Amino acid sequence: MAPALFSRLVTLASSLVLLSGLAVLWRHSLAAYIRTFARQSFLIVLAILLIAAQERDVRLCVVAALVLVLKVVLIPRVLHRVQRHVAADFEIHPYVNTPLSLVITGILTLLSYAVAAPVVSLADLPTRGGIPLALATVFVGLFIIISRRSALSQIIGFLILENGIALLAVLATFGVPLIVELGVFLDVLLGVLVMQVFVYRIRETFDTIDVDRMKDLRH
Amino acid sequence: MLLIALLACPLLAAGLAAPGILARASVARAGAALSGLAFLLSIVLAGRVLAGGVVSFGPEEFLRADGLSAVLLLVVTGVGFVALWFGEGGARPPAAGAEGGAEPGRRYHALAGLFLFTMLLAITVNNVGVMWVAIEATTIATAFLIGLHRSKAALEASWKYILIGSVGIALAFVGTVLAYFNFVQRVGGTPYALHWTVLSRVAVLLDPDVTRLAFVFVLVGYGTKAGLAPMHTWLPDAHSEAPAPISAMMSGSLLAVALYAILRFKVVVDACLGTAFTDRMLMLTALLTLAVAALLLTRQANYKRLLAYSSVEHMGLMCLGSALGTAGVIAALLHALSHAAAKSMTILLAGAIRDRYGTTSLASVRGLLRVMPWTGALFAAGILALLGLPPAGLFLSEMLLLRAGFTAGRTWVMGIVLTLLAMIFVAILTHLNRMLYGEPPEGTSRGDQPGRLLPLGLNLAVLIVLGLWIPGPLARLLGRAAEIFAP
Repeated sequence: MAPALFSRLVTLASSLVLLSGLAVLWRHSLAAYIRTFARQSFLIVLAILLIAAQERDVRLCVVAALVLVLKVVLIPRVLHRVQRHVAADFEIHPYVNTPLSLVITGILTLLSYAVAAPVVSLADLPTRGGIPLALATVFVGLFIIISRRSALSQIIGFLILENGIALLAVLATFGVPLIVELGVFLDVLLGVLVMQVFVYRIRETFDTIDVDRMKDLRH
Repeated sequence: MLLIALLACPLLAAGLAAPGILARASVARAGAALSGLAFLLSIVLAGRVLAGGVVSFGPEEFLRADGLSAVLLLVVTGVGFVALWFGEGGARPPAAGAEGGAEPGRRYHALAGLFLFTMLLAITVNNVGVMWVAIEATTIATAFLIGLHRSKAALEASWKYILIGSVGIALAFVGTVLAYFNFVQRVGGTPYALHWTVLSRVAVLLDPDVTRLAFVFVLVGYGTKAGLAPMHTWLPDAHSEAPAPISAMMSGSLLAVALYAILRFKVVVDACLGTAFTDRMLMLTALLTLAVAALLLTRQANYKRLLAYSSVEHMGLMCLGSALGTAGVIAALLHALSHAAAKSMTILLAGAIRDRYGTTSLASVRGLLRVMPWTGALFAAGILALLGLPPAGLFLSEMLLLRAGFTAGRTWVMGIVLTLLAMIFVAILTHLNRMLYGEPPEGTSRGDQPGRLLPLGLNLAVLIVLGLWIPGPLARLLGRAAEIFAP
């Protein structure tokens, strides 16, 4: 593939990853959040495969396969089951409304261009155009966690943040060493499994998954 | 081999907790015995480090313990040993019965073993990526341990803990990725690029701007786990809701392990940028942390949270020490040792106090010295040690810290620190005074079991010895650890 085309395709894929993270902000159903996350993960699989093909890197193909199994199939399935079980489908009024959320995330995206500037200027990689977008995805994930009230949307926010980091790692370094990559996958999987148990418990105990109801502990 | 044996101890303890291997009572005993063995192995390892500098294992030093690791190993295994031994002597995890079902006692011991293992791995592995994985895994291992009570408060605490912990640590991973990226761009790809030894060797070649950015992410990320302000918000909840032995391990050792991760990166960043940048960042964080602790300690109504905020305070002091050159690092590490001894003791005793009074409210605990004379006296001793009074170890380390600060010419910073420490002193002493004296609530049974307090002898011994002088071998070990930070 011509380097210029490759570079453009990678930037396109990264923008789509960021865009699908933003989609959570205007959707209101939790099931849609989960589908959006699965779609975003699939875009990351495509981005990794694109880089793997260009660099002829078999190791990256393994990473892509792992992301596919874990984040496109397994974790969404777990989350859909949780969502059906706790019988919650609609996001409880977020702390920040949709238009304001979009403005804030716009600012966050600009901010990540500023933050990533030294990284982009150091990189002589064809993939560097996507690096600020990956960082923006991290910030959007963070914003979702802070601004949403249901425990399930906070998990989605965490996963979007995690996706942003995965994209950053593959764009900036063509993947961290495999042993670290495997450890990260294990931690994400275990983390989500532990979080889902707590969603069940919160639902059982508080009769809702609105984390705003949990405010016994102060100071 | 020594390192493998050390890491195998807690794993074996976790494995033995599986149903069908041991009776439930022996599981607890095995856990305590194995953590005791790990403590002994750490002492042997510290001796080897003194003799030879570094103990390592595997290709390209996959596992590696130098002076810094050795000090942390003593902290982690020492606290683990005392906490599990004390916990075994009767104070079963409080909610064990309430949970029912799949033998929660076993699950508790399995997770406690895994928790210990992940901390030990984090401080002995050379690869900073694997170190990240291990520290992230501590969050997962402990989340269920906090939620053991299944009360509303415990649930809220564990949700905050796992969410804030996971997010914080994810940001530390961004820092790790940036460091790796920096390395690959400037030096070229090697499978060992994330090894701390390799990173610190080539640090001079790294790009300064990206290095600076990476350190900010690392500080925010691991700082969240270390309870540094303003990312400390989960800490008082999680530490006060966890069962006492786990809370002791979290306060005494996990926080120090997270700070250790920051220190490892500091060495790399300093080699690239000089020490001014990291010192300034760490000093600002430390001052903010101390200020937050001082404000919230004065208005505290719950003694377990009081101890948690005191951990925030002491992390602030350690963070401050690490910004004050090699003398400061020595003081900070000594402080970590003494704090681990004092804090784990008071937290374990606070667990016993709660079991007796049935509440964690400061207002309801009165006449402690009459209700539980031994426990009360030891608790008071622990708190006074935490306040930095002689002859406890924290007095000596705080003096060294202040001296390092004044020698480094940070007069203003040290002035603020002294003011904040005075505020904290008054606040905690007032609370302690109310707990010890007065009329105990009606119906509180009296009496004590001094025999149960035996494990805490180790803490007392450490506190008193370190308060009087620094034994030669320890001084040399601390010197070895501080060498790493010499410019």
